[in-house]
This record gives sequence, C-alpha cells and structure tokens, in this order.
Amino acid sequence: MDLSVIIPSWGLTALLRSCVLHLDQALARTQLGKACIVVVDNGSAIPYRPEDLAPPHVRIVRLDLRHSFSAACNRGARDVPAARYLFLNNDVFLHPNALADMLGIFADHRIGICGTRLVLPDDMIQHCGVRFDAGERGPYHQDHGQRSARVSRATTFPQAVTGAAMMIDHAAFATLNGFDEAFPFGYEDVDLCLRARQLGIRIACGQRWDSLHLESTSNRKPDRHKASRDLFFQRWRGRYSIDGDESG
Amino acid sequence: MNYYVLPGIGIYGGIKVGFQFAQLLTEAGVPIAVATPGSLAPSWFRCAQPVADRQQIVASVGKSDTLIFSLPHDYPELKATGSRLIFHCQGTDPLINPILHDRDVTVLTCWEQAKNYAMIVARRDAIDVGISISDVFFHDGSPKDEQCAAFMPRRGAAIAQCAMKHVRSLRFLPIDGSSEDICANSLKRSGFFLGTAVAEGFGLPALEAMAAGCVVVSVPVVGGMEYLRHGHTACVAEPKELPAALAEISQQGAGLRRAALRDRGAAMASRYRIAIQRGKLRAAMEAGLKDALSWI
Repeated sequence: MDLSVIIPSWGLTALLRSCVLHLDQALARTQLGKACIVVVDNGSAIPYRPEDLAPPHVRIVRLDLRHSFSAACNRGARDVPAARYLFLNNDVFLHPNALADMLGIFADHRIGICGTRLVLPDDMIQHCGVRFDAGERGPYHQDHGQRSARVSRATTFPQAVTGAAMMIDHAAFATLNGFDEAFPFGYEDVDLCLRARQLGIRIACGQRWDSLHLESTSNRKPDRHKASRDLFFQRWRGRYSIDGDESG
Repeated sequence: MNYYVLPGIGIYGGIKVGFQFAQLLTEAGVPIAVATPGSLAPSWFRCAQPVADRQQIVASVGKSDTLIFSLPHDYPELKATGSRLIFHCQGTDPLINPILHDRDVTVLTCWEQAKNYAMIVARRDAIDVGISISDVFFHDGSPKDEQCAAFMPRRGAAIAQCAMKHVRSLRFLPIDGSSEDICANSLKRSGFFLGTAVAEGFGLPALEAMAAGCVVVSVPVVGGMEYLRHGHTACVAEPKELPAALAEISQQGAGLRRAALRDRGAAMASRYRIAIQRGKLRAAMEAGLKDALSWI
C-alpha cells in the first residue's frame, strides 16, 4: 500500500461524506499506485455503513467506545499499514491538488512529515505551520486569521504542522511509536513533530493550495484542549526553541 | 544523526553561535539536533532548532553519529563515545590544543585568528565556517539617542564605571540578561557602544553594535580584531585609556568622524550577514565538512 488515509470520525456522517468525496478527487490527481481510505469510526452512536459514504470503497474500522484522536489514528495506521499515512480530520475538505503537492514535497527524502495550508470558509488562514512563542502562548498557528492570498506560497519548514491534515512516512511513524495516546484531545500532533525533529526528521508544509478546514466542528467545547495543553506544557515547557512572535 | 553538544543554554555568545550554526546546517539539509542538559532550549534568542537531552544522547550515540562541540571541557567525554567529532572552534585558549592535535577530530573555525592558531599550534588547515549576526541587529532607521552609550556590565563593569565618571555628557544604558530582541532594540536606539570585555574571544556584541549603527569604543579583543579596526570601524583603546577615547569621540567637534566610524562599522557588520555565512557553509561542505557529518 502506498498511502493510507486515516480519518478518525465520530458521528457527523454528512460532513464525513463530503470530506471523503474531496479526498477521492485529490487522490485521483496523484500518481499513487495503491491508496486506501480508512475511516476510524470512533464510537459513533450509529455506526457508519459503507453505503453512507460515497465513494463506497472506504474501509471502516469500527471502535465501539470513543477513544482519543491519537488512539484512533494509531489504530487506523496499525490496521492498514502503508508506506505513508495521511491523517485527516473529517472537517477538512482537501483542495483537488493538495495531495499531489504534498507527495511532491515528499520527493525530497529528507522530509518525513508534511502538512498543507488550511483555510477557513472566509479564505482566512487556519493553518500554514506551527510556530512557538515564549511564555504561556507556546505553539500557535502561523498567520492565523490572515487573508490567504497575502501569505507567501513557498513551501515552509516549520517546527510542527497540524494533525488535521498531516502526511507522515511509515518509518518515521513507526520509530516514533505513533501519536502519544496520553493526549486526550489536541497537541498530540505538535508533540509528534517535536519528537520527530529530535531524530532529525524534517517537517514541511505545502502552501500552494488552500484546503478548507471547518475547524472544531466535532467538538466546540471551549476547554476541549485544556487537559492536552496542560500535558503538553508539563512535558515540553522550556524544551522547544522559540520562533518568537510574527514580527521577526 | 548529528548533535551539537552544548553545556547549557545561558546568555553566552557561544550558545547562540552553536544554535545558529546548527540552524544553518538544518537549512542545508543536515539532520541535526542540539543536545543540552535536560533538553532545555534557550528562550533569549529566536531559533527553530530541535533540542534533545544531552545525557541521553551521549549515552546512546555511536560510530555512525557525529557530535559537534565548542567547549574544550567536553572533549574527553565526547571522545569516549566513539562518535565522529567536529570541533567548532570559537576561541584560542591553549586548552583546545589537545583537540587540535587529534587528527580524528574535524576542526572548523569561526574567524581568521582561530584558523591561524590551528595552523600554528597543530599545522591544521581548519575549515572556515564563519560567524554571523542575527538580522534583528541591523539598523532599520529607527531614531537614535546620540547621547546614549550602551554597555554590557557583565564583563568589565569597572571600566564602564570609570567611563561614566569621565564622560558626564553621555547617559549609559546597561544591557544585561536581556533577550536578543531587547538587546537589539537597545543598541539600535543608542549612539555608542562601549566594549569593556577584556580578553573577549571574538566579541560578538561589538559587531552587533556596529550592525545597529553604534559608534563602537572598545578594548582590544583576542579574536575579533578582524572587524575591530582602530580609526576605521571603531575606537580601540586599552582599558585605562577607554574613558578618554569615549570622551574624545563623543565631543561636539567629532561629528564627522563619528559618522565615518558608523558607516564603516555598518559596512563591516554587513560582511557577517547570515546569508554570507550560508555561502561559507556551502564552501565548507565541499572542503570536507560533508564527509565528517552523519547522513543517517
């Protein structure tokens, strides 16, 4: 298998269907030999059925209990191993060219993890790489809220990328033992990237195409990241380099 | 894997130079992390370099790894690991002589005087990798207080005290324990920089002050005389004469000389742009550095 696309999902069937349709379009524009879409049904009250999702060739991994994002991602990767994985949120609609662009960036063998630019429905940037500031701010989305057209389209090499659309090499993922399942919700992606860079794995973020991210559709609780954020700071405070604010 | 091994993350030029060099290697495609005690990362300058725990790294590395270091005290411990060693030479203390004599260690030098030292002591043709100033120091046209002299009291505070007593027309701005951003802003707003660190290796602050458009009045340094040229880019005076030199260059009639020193200082500092060091690194790779690094 060349690529397994792992989509952890809980309910929101219509949203998931749209996500898969966009993904299928993007896959069609790549030169990949064999790819598989894996939906990890993370304890949805009504289990997904293949006929709910168009196209129907999606593989569904059913978890009867709801697990963390990390655990669901790891389970998907374990069940359908491939040379590369793309972890995708069910509220990300990939641009038709985004996947081909990410694979093109992976042609540089030094790259082990690649993200892609995500925008909000009003064309403002949601994600184009993660920077780190000093103090309580910690990791933050670079250029968040900026109009996408105003931000450079050159590929960047940030310290981390979001797990909402993250491609990773199998060897790197295996060496890192996947996402750390201690993170209940959020920051597992940043943790993975920081651990990867300690091993010399380079991270890139494709900027050429805007993919839509309907951020936090599945969980809008204001304190949804708190436990993970606390764990992240407990583990990493003082242990990452400071990109600083966006003035420099 | 490659690791730049450092003894800490305190506010010392050698720490910043190490991180900056690791960052340039990363940009050149070299897999590298900085190994520090407790995998702590400095927060006093901007950087995007990954850090790893020094103790764990030293315990786990082997023949396929490369360790870069700059502090001579680290040499015995790192040598015992059996890894390839690269000495990033940032000084000319005789303590480094055994390292220079070890032919298994690749020697990189940051400036000319260190390169000459390696040749004299061990007949080593060290690879020049240069040194650079962060872009944040280069003067951006922000208004300057011509009556303000910045200085760093950590080294040579007594010399600065004498200067304060001697030159009443200037206000003195101590820079101590500040982040790089704050330090750069202070220098960019100051008319003068008083360099008081006797026996300084290279004296990065004086060069940063030149970039920031300060008139530099400094004691001689060991390795930085390539940029610190008396009457051309700076006023260089022995510690006892430093207050008089500052008084002389800051007096009303010396405006043209100050402007000339400032211009030539800024031109000199521009030779130490990161972009120029990047070019040196490319040449260094071809000169043998590439073979000393680990590509696994």
